[in-house]
Amino acid sequence: MDTKAARDIAKQEMDFLSGNEMAALSASQINFHIMGYYPITPSTEIAENLDEMKAEGEHNIVLIPGEGEHGAAAICYGATTTGARVFNATSAQGLLYAMEQLPVQSGTRYPMLLDIVARAVSGPLDIRCDHSDIMMALNCGWIILMAKDPQAAYDMNIIGVKLGELEDVRLPVMVTFDGFFTSHQKRRVQYFSDKKVVQDYVGSHPPKYISVDPKNPITIGPYMNDPDLINNRKQLSMAMEAAYNRLEEVFESYYQLSGRRYGILDTYQMEDAEVALFILNSAFETSKEAVDKLRAEGFKVGVMMPNVIRPFPAREIRECVKNVRALCVADRQESYGAWGGNMSIEVKAALKDDMDNRTLVISRVYGLGGKEFYVEDAMDMLREAFVVAKKGKVEVPFEYVGATPGDLSYIPEQIQSPLTREDTSPHIISLTKDEKTGMLDVKGVSGRPLNEMPKRISQGHSACSGCGIFPGLDTFFKGIEGDVVVLFHTGCGMVVTTGYPYTSHNVTYIHNLFQSGAPTLGGVVEAFRERQRRGEIPESEDITFVMITGDGGMDIGMGHAIGTALRNHKMIILEYDNQGYMNTGAQLSFSTPLGHATSTSHVGPYQSGNQLQHKDTAQIMAACNIPYVFTGIATQYRDLIKKASRAQYYAKNEGLVYGKILITCPLEWKSEERIGLEILQAATDCCFFPLFEVVHGKTIISYNPEEKGKKVSVTEWLKLMGKTKHLLKPDYKDVVEKLQKEVDRRWERLKAMHEHPLL
Amino acid sequence: METAKTRIAAIPRKNQQGFFEIRMESIGGLGANVAGKILAETGVLGMGLNGSNFSSYGSEKKGAPVKAHVRLCDPDTPIRNNSPVEHPHILAIFHEALIKTVPVLQGVGPDSIVIMNTTKPPTEVRTILKLHGGYLGCIDALGIAIAENSRVNIPMLGAISKASGFIEPESLREAIKKVFGRKYPQTVPGNLKAFERGYHEVKIELFPPDGKYPYQPFVRNPSRLGYMNQPIGGIVVSAGKTKEKDLSPSRTGFIPVLDLETCTHCGECDYACPDYCFVWEKGVTKTGKEAIFLKGIDYQYCKGCLQCVWICKPKALTTGRESDHNVEEMTVPHPFREKLTK
Repeated sequence: MDTKAARDIAKQEMDFLSGNEMAALSASQINFHIMGYYPITPSTEIAENLDEMKAEGEHNIVLIPGEGEHGAAAICYGATTTGARVFNATSAQGLLYAMEQLPVQSGTRYPMLLDIVARAVSGPLDIRCDHSDIMMALNCGWIILMAKDPQAAYDMNIIGVKLGELEDVRLPVMVTFDGFFTSHQKRRVQYFSDKKVVQDYVGSHPPKYISVDPKNPITIGPYMNDPDLINNRKQLSMAMEAAYNRLEEVFESYYQLSGRRYGILDTYQMEDAEVALFILNSAFETSKEAVDKLRAEGFKVGVMMPNVIRPFPAREIRECVKNVRALCVADRQESYGAWGGNMSIEVKAALKDDMDNRTLVISRVYGLGGKEFYVEDAMDMLREAFVVAKKGKVEVPFEYVGATPGDLSYIPEQIQSPLTREDTSPHIISLTKDEKTGMLDVKGVSGRPLNEMPKRISQGHSACSGCGIFPGLDTFFKGIEGDVVVLFHTGCGMVVTTGYPYTSHNVTYIHNLFQSGAPTLGGVVEAFRERQRRGEIPESEDITFVMITGDGGMDIGMGHAIGTALRNHKMIILEYDNQGYMNTGAQLSFSTPLGHATSTSHVGPYQSGNQLQHKDTAQIMAACNIPYVFTGIATQYRDLIKKASRAQYYAKNEGLVYGKILITCPLEWKSEERIGLEILQAATDCCFFPLFEVVHGKTIISYNPEEKGKKVSVTEWLKLMGKTKHLLKPDYKDVVEKLQKEVDRRWERLKAMHEHPLL
Repeated sequence: METAKTRIAAIPRKNQQGFFEIRMESIGGLGANVAGKILAETGVLGMGLNGSNFSSYGSEKKGAPVKAHVRLCDPDTPIRNNSPVEHPHILAIFHEALIKTVPVLQGVGPDSIVIMNTTKPPTEVRTILKLHGGYLGCIDALGIAIAENSRVNIPMLGAISKASGFIEPESLREAIKKVFGRKYPQTVPGNLKAFERGYHEVKIELFPPDGKYPYQPFVRNPSRLGYMNQPIGGIVVSAGKTKEKDLSPSRTGFIPVLDLETCTHCGECDYACPDYCFVWEKGVTKTGKEAIFLKGIDYQYCKGCLQCVWICKPKALTTGRESDHNVEEMTVPHPFREKLTK
């Protein structure tokens, strides 16, 4: 990067910030109209930082949490059609889940900015960096800029808005930086002192066709088959070409403003390089270190990276490597079966267009799933390319770097005897059906004897001290006899029990991403029954299927859960509700109560915590007319065990069961670990979280705090947690009143439903 | 690039790439991440240096092992390296119990300075750590934190500043004022006092490498499983394998203490325990009935949340300071631990 004399450029501040902080700062200065987003590690901090800044009044971006990335992308799309300037940030599966919307955005030509904080695509689930997500997006019709460090994350966001909105471009733009390496590492950075400099640079956004101008009615997104769509696509292709042609000019204008020059390619010691490495983002910086070391040994080596991969700078790459004898293209992903990652395939294709080019190319895959990329790795790649140059031929065109064969004397196996059906059927509980009423009577539930029940989850999980998930789940499972198969959605419960190569599950466990658990387990249930019917699995096998999800999984996975409920598969969905996305750092969920502070509902002079009333998931599921719905808390364990026992009966004999347990999260509720169960009881006693069942549509309240003389106001519950301590101040009186009113309304309604069999 | 300060601090020692490197070993919740941020920010914004800072990320749960990394260098030295600090000039251990389960000393050579949060003297700590050689500084950061109403990270910062010989205490004081002053101004005096005490009370001793304990090289890939022996698809075939783990380093000073004399064996503690620590055995009641009886607590898994103390009506479970008890002797291991095949 060249630098310009300070007097010629706009005034800037020096700071020490991470890539996510810089991305949020640029967005705040641009002052987008809308950010539609959904939390996913490692990009979540961008929305969190923007929310915190908003609570302090630093910008006016309307931050809209989607119910999933697909919804978030659709929020963004809708907003762009109005002529608004729009921002979003995501990673990995979030990008894939949003992807259906991305060609709509580009095909109908509404620019926006999407930060991709690069992370490995599942499964198995890995939250760290590689480029398998961004390379999936190559064909979406979006411009893709690369940002190799926190400074570039800031700069490219501003450049991206400018470029995408150019009259002859009008394309949405992704800016990609490396998860954790760039998103979370703090570096010395600079930013414009005055946000007006940024706003003047990007200019006002001149929309072409807008959806909210009744004087000019238009149709956005017609039904467009042959022979027309090909011409729409040709236009898109021409826009991409226009972007390619105008890149230099945008980079130059940004250089004039900031003093930081980005080329279409960033190169290091390429002028006389005989051997070179092509590598993206943070690893490019590491590779410079390798180049210095090898240069010191007398090797003429260099390294290059494109600052943009869509449009792909084929021209510049051909020019840059025309005298390079051997080139190693290192990819942080693979296009499986194509013998390379996408960059090596494209670099090879670009060189093919130069008849005079004699560069030999090898393709190497490195750093998958966040595996560290060391200076030595870059040196090894360059040395290998040197051998290729010397021999004049490529012997190993494609290989992985950094994969290890393992210790072959070690074969993982079972470390304990599996739980047997006898072990898990101590017959302490008895369940009988009243033939007259059809109701299930559960007897024998007593605290002490049931501790004989073997635990389905093992000791040694890495949950936080005082985590409420595990008392909640174990209490529930005390009421479930016999063999079980569990499916966990992504979330704390999953992460802390299955860190490879460990597992805390004593029974068979399946993970799926947290929108798709319910139908996945539905598939398991139906295939199990069909395989039994065909005699492939013995008739004697008798399994209870239980899906475990957090409240987040019932947001992003609500549609799938409803579909599964309407199909009435014989299984249980058990939701542990801790009122937020705790696994990713406590962002709000739809289950977060009004006024509660989370990392995306900060409290400050301009914002008073969460703006929405909590979702009533139990009633949504009850409306699917499934046989059994219940709520429970571990504090009232006898009640919860009875409900588990009934749940097992219904899931085996009738169909889908949904249960919701409130569980404590001392870390993110900012509460004392030791009083977790007390908080749950208070939530129940104030009727925020009433305990009830819905049996074949009939509501039965299982615990009425009014009748027991235990009813308290919501304040008695709120005062037990740090996340709600602001609500005790007089300033927030109206928020508490609103919450109390809604809690009372739902409780009165529940009592009416309890009284009347038809409600 | 412009630097914030015209006077630039001189770094006394650097590695080949020009960095002075600090690694902090801690558990989630003790503030190592914040300490790393304050240190690096002070270096860059307060002392005119270049620097970087990051933490080990993964499942960031409270009580789980974490590392924070700091690199400082001259203002014109570029930082191109993103990988963790392998050979720290300063290794700061925030939590003594961590050394049971984390190989904290990897890459720590005779030129490193180790700072440990402990009440024990350096000679004793050297033996516990099995330190090859080098400078060892001991500081009762927890004691100071409790006395001054601060957190462990602040006295540790004081000790690190002293040990570094160049990270200026006055710059760090300013940083502490800035970090805490914005949101929690009432905590500033206590934190400054805690910093001061950390700076002055750290006792540093030199232990020349005498061959007593070997140097522990840094291991980049400790996994025994690779592409030749991982079961395909990432499948884990060893059900319940976390039973092998020792979670006791997650505790931060307190344990539940069980008095079996007072215990009524009601079993409610087991319903409150997130870590399934209560051990039962079969027996016969006074009236001759078969029943299960609480035998004790398996402290290998106990994280010290004390929910069992809250739920215990007869008060057979009470809160104790871990340092006042011999937890190893009190531990009643779950019977399955003997049967595990490794």
